[in-house]
Formats: sequence, structure tokens, C-alpha cells
Amino acid sequence: MSEVITTEVTPTAAPDDRAPKIAVRDLVKTRRSTRGSIVTAVDHVSFDVHIGEFVCLLGPSGCGKTSIINILAGLDEPTSGKVLLDGRPIAGPGPDRAVLFQEPALFPWLSVAGNVELALKLIGTSPAERAARARTWLTNVGLGSFADVQPHELSAGMRQRAQLARALATDPDVLLGDEPFGALDAQARELLQDEVQRVLLEREGPKTFFFVTHNVREAALLADRVLVMSAAPGRLLEEVRIGAPRPRQLDDVLVARVVSDVHELLMREVARARAEGSDRPIVQEVDDR
Amino acid sequence: MSDDTTTDAEVPQGSADEQLAALDLSEEERLVLARVADIVRRINYGTVVLVIQDGKVVQVEMAEKFRLR
Repeated sequence: MSEVITTEVTPTAAPDDRAPKIAVRDLVKTRRSTRGSIVTAVDHVSFDVHIGEFVCLLGPSGCGKTSIINILAGLDEPTSGKVLLDGRPIAGPGPDRAVLFQEPALFPWLSVAGNVELALKLIGTSPAERAARARTWLTNVGLGSFADVQPHELSAGMRQRAQLARALATDPDVLLGDEPFGALDAQARELLQDEVQRVLLEREGPKTFFFVTHNVREAALLADRVLVMSAAPGRLLEEVRIGAPRPRQLDDVLVARVVSDVHELLMREVARARAEGSDRPIVQEVDDR
Repeated sequence: MSDDTTTDAEVPQGSADEQLAALDLSEEERLVLARVADIVRRINYGTVVLVIQDGKVVQVEMAEKFRLR
């Protein structure tokens, strides 16, 4: 090798002078608890996500991560503050955003390919193209030979792959993930993280990714930037910009270093919250509406 | 060797210029150092990792931390 290969290591450069894809400004989300008191889930949170970036929002459980994803997905509204997509307030769900949920919502009466094709039908893809695109994406996530089986015949990891294929087949501008690999065993999780890294390397258009997770390793493996949230009520504590090429491995020196730094920060935060008695699980983030 | 070092590595002596002259750096090595210096200048808190293969720096990786409150 005759020349020094200097992989781009300057995430602090360019992005900031462009208009952000997602802009969250002073976001507050409160809920009424079952006992009638008002609980703050998200407390004045502001951040940007730029086109082509992969941002992970990381925080202890109950810190309001899912609230933020639900608002970005258009499934919920801010109590106050602004959440903008391409400079416009988010008014509801749309085909420009696909969401990966922790439990993949696949229709059980449709085949795996049928599920992907339905999503394509809903965005107006022609019947001829639907089948071809579904096959392509199922093959991309390693489910090529499972296209015709029913979702219940798949393992949890395979169902999650099917969900990923369905999301990516519709070619969304933004892929949102709400703990998408949280319910998987360690091996299935690792395989899917590799899958996502491969998608990131091979993607054609500049896709924007925003995942929430409480898994530090996942964030360090996947993200260009990691936003770390406090215990409830959720505020942003720290941002880590990671300039390392993909695919990354957990034992890469930089990845391991980021994992240990962020892990330490989170442990301090959880201990602080516990000492102050504010670590009660505020509300069931998902089921409380 | 001075008492405050714990490794057997030879500790360079002299001014920065003298040390650089003694090393007689190649073009490639100077490029790496320039790249590292550039990153160090831009980071307040963080980590820089040099990945070396076959005696050559093949990759420079970095992570930068920002306190948000």
C-alpha cells in the first residue's frame, strides 16, 4: 500500500451548514398519569438530524425515547416545542418515514412477501414492480427463500428482518427505529446490526436513520452521532460524534472506547436519578395513551 | 531513563525541531502527523485512534464528545 488511506474522520465538518432533515426544538412532552398527576416525559429537548446521518438516541428506560420516536413518526403530538421534517411541522404518519418497531407488526394472514407488497401497494407502486421489489429486498436481508411462508413460521429475528425489508422496500427518506432489535437474542441482534451496517454501506440515496435504543453497543456500532439522554424527565446530556468507517466491530478500539465512556455516563446518570428518587418508571411510554 | 516512565521505550530528547529532525520523517509520515494535529485542534474532548497495518497507518478514527447541559 503506497499511500495513507485516511478515511473521512471529520463528522464535525460539513453537515451543520445544511438545512437539517429533522429538527427538534425545545420539545416537551407531558402526560397525565393514571393517578391524575402530570408527568414530564421529555423535558426541553433540541437536536438536529441531517440528511444521510445515522443518529442513535440512547437513554435509560423511561427517559422519553419512545415519546420522541412516536412524535417523529407522527403518531403523537408535542405538548410544546417544534418537531420539523424538511422544515415543516410533522402532521401525521407519512410514506416519507418508515418505522421499525420492537415487535414487527406483520399481517399474519399475508405471506412474508405479501406483507412487503402491501406496503408497496399503499405507496402506489405498480403491481408488476411490487413483486420484484419485494423479492429483491427480502433477498437483501437474507429471506429470499422465505418469501412465501407466513410470518408465524419465522423466528423472531427473521420477522424483524422481514420488517426491515418492508421498511426499506418503500424507499423512505427517513428510517425510524424504536428499539428495533430490543426483543431479540444476542445472536439475532448481532446479525441484524450487521445487516443494517451493510444496508448503510450499500444504500443508494442519502437515507436518514434515527434509532432509539438503550443498548450502548448498538449505538456505538451503528451511529454517526449518539445522543445520550438523562433519566426521567428526559433531557439531553451528551453528544458523541463517531468518525469511524463501517462496518464496525464491537472490539474496534474506538467503538470499545465509546461504549465504555457512554456506559459510564449512563451508569452515573442512573445512580444519580436513583439517589434523588426520580428514577420511578414515569409512565408506560407505549401503552399509556 | 528517567524515573517517571514505566516503559522501556526510548524517550526522545531535545526541542520539537530537534526531535523531528532526528526522526527524518517521510512524506507519508508527515501526512499522518498533519492529519492527527488537525483533528486534535478541532476536538475539545474525545479520542483519536490510528489503525496500523503492515507498519503503515491505514486509518484515522475519532470520536468527539460534547456536553449538552
